[in-house]
Formats: sequence, C-alpha cells, structure tokens
Amino acid sequence: MSAIFESVHYIYPSKVHALRGVSLEFRPGELVALMGENGSGKTTLLKHINGLLKPVKGRVIVEGIDTRTASVAQLSQVAGLVFQNAEEMFFESNVFDEVAFALRNFGYSEEVVRKRVEWALKFFELDTYSSQSPFLLSGGEKKRLAMAIILAWSPRIICLDEPTIGQDSLQKEKMKHMIKMLNTQGRTVLLATHDVEFVAELRPRVILLSKGEVVADGKCEEILTDETLVKKASILMPQLVYAFKRLEDLGFDSRVLDVDDGVRQVLKVLRHESV
Amino acid sequence: MSLFEGLRFRPGTTFVHRLDPRVKLATSTMVLITAVIHIDIVIILFLLMLESLVILSAKVQNLWIKTIRGALPLVAIVFAITFFSQYSREPVISTGLGYALTYSLRLLVFLSSFSLFFLTTTPDEIALTLQQLRVPYEYTFAFVSAIRFTPVMAEELQVVLDAQRARGLEVDKGPFTKRLRNLIPVLVPLLVNVIRRSYELAEAMEVKCFGASRKRTSLKQLNMRRKDIFFLVVVLILFSVGVSVKLLGLEPVKTLPLLGQFFPD
Repeated sequence: MSAIFESVHYIYPSKVHALRGVSLEFRPGELVALMGENGSGKTTLLKHINGLLKPVKGRVIVEGIDTRTASVAQLSQVAGLVFQNAEEMFFESNVFDEVAFALRNFGYSEEVVRKRVEWALKFFELDTYSSQSPFLLSGGEKKRLAMAIILAWSPRIICLDEPTIGQDSLQKEKMKHMIKMLNTQGRTVLLATHDVEFVAELRPRVILLSKGEVVADGKCEEILTDETLVKKASILMPQLVYAFKRLEDLGFDSRVLDVDDGVRQVLKVLRHESV
Repeated sequence: MSLFEGLRFRPGTTFVHRLDPRVKLATSTMVLITAVIHIDIVIILFLLMLESLVILSAKVQNLWIKTIRGALPLVAIVFAITFFSQYSREPVISTGLGYALTYSLRLLVFLSSFSLFFLTTTPDEIALTLQQLRVPYEYTFAFVSAIRFTPVMAEELQVVLDAQRARGLEVDKGPFTKRLRNLIPVLVPLLVNVIRRSYELAEAMEVKCFGASRKRTSLKQLNMRRKDIFFLVVVLILFSVGVSVKLLGLEPVKTLPLLGQFFPD
C-alpha cells in the first residue's frame, strides 16, 4: 500500500476537530480525488501523508513508514505535497535554483541536481524560464513550477492541494494532461479539490469528506452522479449529469461525466429510435 | 510563533480589560522606562512581580506564558551575549551571570508590559487612544492594521514553514549559522506576501475613499472614570519612587553588600 490511514483523528490547536476517525487505503499507482466543502478535512488529510501533521489518535503508514516516527524531510522524499498557493514556497532568484533547492537539501550531487532540474522543467514546459525569477511567471506557470519542484526528486506519492484554483481553462487542460502522465508513470496521485468538472474528466477514485469524516469512497461515475452523496459533501454534480438527469424520461442514462460519454448516450438513444 | 500570541487581543470582562486604554498605555510606558533606567535585579524582579499580579487579575496568564515561551530563544541569546561581553571585560563568572540574568529578566519585563497592553485592549481602543493623543489618523490606521494583521502573518508564517519543510528544509537542525541561513527560504516568501498584502490593503482603502474627509469623528469617546484615575495615581507613585531611587543612587545593588559582589560598578 502507498498510504494507510487507521482511524485517524486530528485536532488543531484552535480545537477544530479536523479529522474524525478516518480510515483509508491508497494503493500504488492510484489516482484519487479528495472532495468536500471548505473545512471538510481534505488539506489536513494530505498534510498527514508527508508528516506535516501527526495524528492525535490512530496512525498513518506511508510506504511502510509510521509517520509518527519519521521527520517531514524523510517522508517528503516518498510523498511530495504541492501547496495550494504556489508562491508560498518561492524564494530563489531564478526558476532553476528554486527547483534545485529541495534536491540540494536531500543531498544529491550537483550533477544529479542539474539533470533532475532540467528534466522536471522540461516535463512541465518551463525549460525556457530557467534563469527567470519565479515571481515573474504567470499563475499557471507558477503552479506548474510548484509541481516541478516536487517532481524533481521523484516521490512515489504526489499530493496536489487545489491544483486548479486560479487557473484558466487552458492551464487546467495542461494540468489534467500532466496529472494523467504522472499517474501513467505509476505514481500515486492524490488531489484535494472542489472542481467537479476537472475530476469528472480525470475519472479518479473519489473520496467524499464532510466535517472530517469519509462519507463516500468509490468510482467517480458512481459518486459524482449520486445526488444524495454529493449533497452530503456540499458539492455539486458535474453540469452534464444535471442535463442528462432531466432527460432520463427519454431513455437517457444520467451517469454521464464528460462530453464523450454524452455524445455516446445521445447516439445510442437516436439509433434506438431510428430502429 | 507563540511570541505573537501576546499581541492578540482576547475579550474579557476583568478590571484590567475595562481600564481606560490610555491608562494601560501609560502604565506600560512607565514600566518600560523604569526597566530601562535600572540595571538592578531587585527592581527588575519587583517589576516582574507587579506585572504578574496584573496579568493574573486580567486572567491572561496562559497566553502570557505562551508569549514568554515563544520569547525564550531570544532571552537565551540576550543571556549569552550579555554573559560573554561582561566576562570579556571582567572575567568573573558570578558577575557575568548576574548581569546576564538581569538583562534577560529585563527583556521579559519589556515583553510582559506590552503583551499585557495588547492582550487586554481592542484594536479599536488602541486606535481611539492614538487619535486622542493627536497622532495623525494615517499613522494610527497603519499601526492598528499592523496589529490586526499580526495573527494573519503568524498563520502565513506557518504555511510557508510547512511548504519549505515539505521541500526537505530542516529549520531547527545544524549549527547556529546554518539555522540563520535556513530562515531565508522562510522569510523571503513571507516578505513578498506582506508587501503584496500592503498594496492590496492600500488599494482597498483608496476604493473606500480613505482620507477623503479631513475631519474625522468617532462614535465612541474615551472617558476617564474614578477607578482609572485611581489606578493611574498608584502607578505614578510607584514610577516616581522608581525614578527617585535611581536619582538618589539608592538602588539595592548599591546598598545591599551581598548583591554588590555580583554587580560591581
């Protein structure tokens, strides 16, 4: 298993009970979306994976390591976390050094650092900005740089906190493509997001959280089309689901998550009628 | 981080909370002046004891302890610097320790006096105090905004710290110089955020016509009551005694032979 949560409870110093007995298992190479309203515990859950937060009760095992016994630096090598606001990690004068910072912290040789940075920048289409200040990049580029920073040391688990926030549709498309590529490479990718349309296109395993508890865990097609479950987590279903729900009386199946599904459904009904 | 806890107002209904903010500010200033003019462990301990009594009556002792805990590294630095500079001038350990302890406790007196003021005074009361002391409103606003944003900055500091720890930065590891260098990745993003926030705040204030009217009026006015005047008189008497002791050269370190050994002139 990539990560195991065993009855994890977490209470912030402000007395907010953010996680209430969460038990989950993330398998290697899985793509998982954690969804739920603000304050449902998505980010808190992600922060437990690289040890930034330690459970007050229960335990978290990441790649066989009990997070209570390991430092953040040790855990970060296997589980990288990309923060919601990318700029919160920038401080170097150029993009190259920004990506190299963590690699140097982990003790890689300069030759390895150079190779890995070049690869990560190329992967995220940032190689042309290598000597530019990270603060001068656009919003989408900053987000990609934050991902390049984490990917540079190839963690087996990648946690993305609200990857689409503040991104235009083109950047979202690029982000989707990159997440798919990372997942295809066999990495476990965990996303914490509200963006149902984005999740619908990625088709991950979906975990719905509400008030620190898991309210649903299963296939994207089953969860995001279930009105009761989605309401419980205070999110909305993808727009196509709403549209096809209205057409159910005409023989349409409402479990439609993206345009391809929709077209297939329409063609199926049209063909059936023409016969 | 917990150092900032002492700058955050906590609502309360105690006598200290209800005191006129001008009286509280005057008290904090007088405590500060007394601590500055005296390098005398007895007087510093006396000030600390008085402050503790007021802190206990204001029921903010837990937050005060948090602030002091947060300030301990700073206190340790002051202790070490004072000890070594004193020891280099006069290589007597007891003298070095005596002065180091006095300077460290003096820092605690400074922190406690302002912590007490900020813990028991609302930002609005601080603004009113400064306004009635005829401080231009622009400066008052800037000062009060700085206080209001302290907890926000503390939260941001935590986020930045988490982000850098997730990149393998170990702030608490290594020798002192390395630890100082490790602060750069934390301070730069924080500074960038602060500058950005100040621009945003300036724009938001301009949109809301800040400064359009020169004549500002306040809904609430500060009025001294009998208990405020009584408290101020007591503090003034104590302050006068403290200053007189200094002017007349009657400090305990000079008059008590046992202490004199630790604090030669």
